[in-house]
Amino acid sequence: MKKIAVQVDDLTVAYNYKPVLWDIDLEIPEGVLMAIVGPNGAGKSTLIKAILGILKPIAGSVSIYGKPYEKQRDLVAYVPQKGSVDWDFPTTALDVVMMGTYGSLGWIKRPSQKEKKAALEALEKVGMLPFKNRQISQLSGGQQQRIFLARALVQDASIYFMDEPFQGVDATTEIAIINILKELRKAGKTVIVVHHDLQTVPEYFDWVTFLNVKKIATGPVKDIFNDDNLTKTYGINYKVSIQE
Amino acid sequence: MNSAQIEIQLIASLVAVACAIPGTFLVLRKMAMISDAISHSILPGIVIGFFITQDLNSPLLILLAAITGIITVVLVEHIQKTGLVKEDTAIGLVFPALFSIGVIMIAKNANDVHLDVDAVLLGELAFAPFDRLFIAGTDVGPKSLWIIGAILLITLGLLFAFFKELKISTFDAGLAASLGFSPALIHYGLMTVSSVTTVGAFDAVGAILVVALMIAPAAAAYLITTDLKKMLLLAIIFGVFSAISGYWFAHWLDASIAGSITTMLGLLFLIVYLFAPSKGLIAVMYREKQQRIEVSLLTFLLHLKNHDDIEERHVNHLNEHINWQKVRSKTVLDLAQKNNMIEIDNKIVSLTEKGDEFTSKAIDYIITNEDAQIEDMKDDFFLFRG
Ligand SMILES: Nc1ncnc2c1ncn2[C@@H]1O[C@H](COP(=O)(O)OP(=O)(O)OP(=O)(O)O)[C@@H](O)[C@H]1O
Ligand SMILES: [Mg+2]
Repeated sequence: MKKIAVQVDDLTVAYNYKPVLWDIDLEIPEGVLMAIVGPNGAGKSTLIKAILGILKPIAGSVSIYGKPYEKQRDLVAYVPQKGSVDWDFPTTALDVVMMGTYGSLGWIKRPSQKEKKAALEALEKVGMLPFKNRQISQLSGGQQQRIFLARALVQDASIYFMDEPFQGVDATTEIAIINILKELRKAGKTVIVVHHDLQTVPEYFDWVTFLNVKKIATGPVKDIFNDDNLTKTYGINYKVSIQE
Repeated sequence: MNSAQIEIQLIASLVAVACAIPGTFLVLRKMAMISDAISHSILPGIVIGFFITQDLNSPLLILLAAITGIITVVLVEHIQKTGLVKEDTAIGLVFPALFSIGVIMIAKNANDVHLDVDAVLLGELAFAPFDRLFIAGTDVGPKSLWIIGAILLITLGLLFAFFKELKISTFDAGLAASLGFSPALIHYGLMTVSSVTTVGAFDAVGAILVVALMIAPAAAAYLITTDLKKMLLLAIIFGVFSAISGYWFAHWLDASIAGSITTMLGLLFLIVYLFAPSKGLIAVMYREKQQRIEVSLLTFLLHLKNHDDIEERHVNHLNEHINWQKVRSKTVLDLAQKNNMIEIDNKIVSLTEKGDEFTSKAIDYIITNEDAQIEDMKDDFFLFRG
């Protein structure tokens, strides 16, 4: 049996005392490329934020390779959902990617040439090197998404959390991104992606979690990605007429 | 210049620098209003501090008043969190309440408090040099100079130590939190520095000038640069410039120094707002005009590319075919010729090799919206500058 990369036990999260995630138990094995699916407002972003300690749960616990998140920060990289940052902030693409290195630097210490080199390599990887000095609001939506991917890559983590990386990107960029994600999996990393396009789940991912306030199901795509679970998650009588 | 004049300008300049630093981050966090709230609601803190210490320049008083500033921020956030009202409403609820408590406390104790509301709001820089600090009997300079100097040193130290943390938590609080840089800690740190600076400066320059010095230079700098370090530096330069020019303006008019500095800040912002290189009003209007011309140019080049027959390419026919007025046709023709994109031979216009290539690339861009291919064209053409 594979190691467990992320373990969530009895997790309940609330905004202003109104729970939006109820009693979630979840085990994510190492080395999977996993989709989290569920309708808008299902709590997908909230789940990721709670795992990463950005939100404090009212009950339950999270562990990364058996230890609390605070001890394992260096193992984890995060690409937030678009719109969670200030696009008019005076900063360049390169600078944003460099922020990925801040975690390993810790408090007070400043980035040096080494961090800059890593950031440039990550930009190269996502095909954004020509735009390195561009102010970020002057990039298109898909380009902004690539910058955030580069920022996660530069963290050189073991586990990647990505909140809707395909939002508003064109087909070419989507393929470019998924190829990078598949490469990460090949390198033994665990990748967790909030995903809205149900059509592409079987093609892109090997693991899936259905979420709607509660956890509906989690497991290998080939075993559990079916009409039954989709209906339970999305409420309506769902028919997947998409697979083989 | 006599020594009092130099001291006044020095105090005003130090206050300007001390305000510009937290001000830059307040502007970036879209929290300009909070500085207004802090500057008013510290009044009860100052009064209570004064009862206890009997000295307007005591560090304890500064601390007490700064705590009132933090309480303001906490109250505003608490009210906002109920979800019943927006942030600006919450600010509007909190600071008048605290401010009026301060006013009542002053009024009730008018006899034994040497303190009035006007002094707190407007300050009086002109008197700052008279309140001197003596160490072991020797005069070491005005008290306000020492107070604001100490605050500035602390602010600078914090800025250098936590620049990266301030940057990341302002830009992307989620990432900052996931990397272990507590955005809440940094938020309250910034609020504390803003409060301490406000209190430390109010005696010399008054609460209103503090707000102006925090917000106006940073807002002007924001219009000019897309680099955080340059923004900080520009905000500092603008602040100091307004402080010194405001002083001489007041000297010339024989008016209030704080009022003149505020006026200078207003003027400076107006000038930057109009003339800033890319975000300024005039630059934006110029760019829009250029873009119109360039769209016309492109339309014209496309027309040439699509039509081989001489008749369609005759200068005189342009007006009818593309349906432009004379002036516009001339501007477009001149622009195309200046860029070696067309040749005019016997009044017949044809594309040069460069023009042909440019047109193909431009069409590609418009169709695919793929930026990389036209990176090299950007300097010449506004149209492609997103
Ligand atoms: N800061 C907040 N304060 C209060 N309620 C919130 C906050 N953020 C999210 N919520 C609520 O929590 C629930 C879950 O939100 P969440 O952002 O996790 O959904 P999601 O599954 O990511 O949705 P989407 O697909 O739209 O991104 C929603 O009902 C939302 O309204
Ligand atoms: Mg979401």
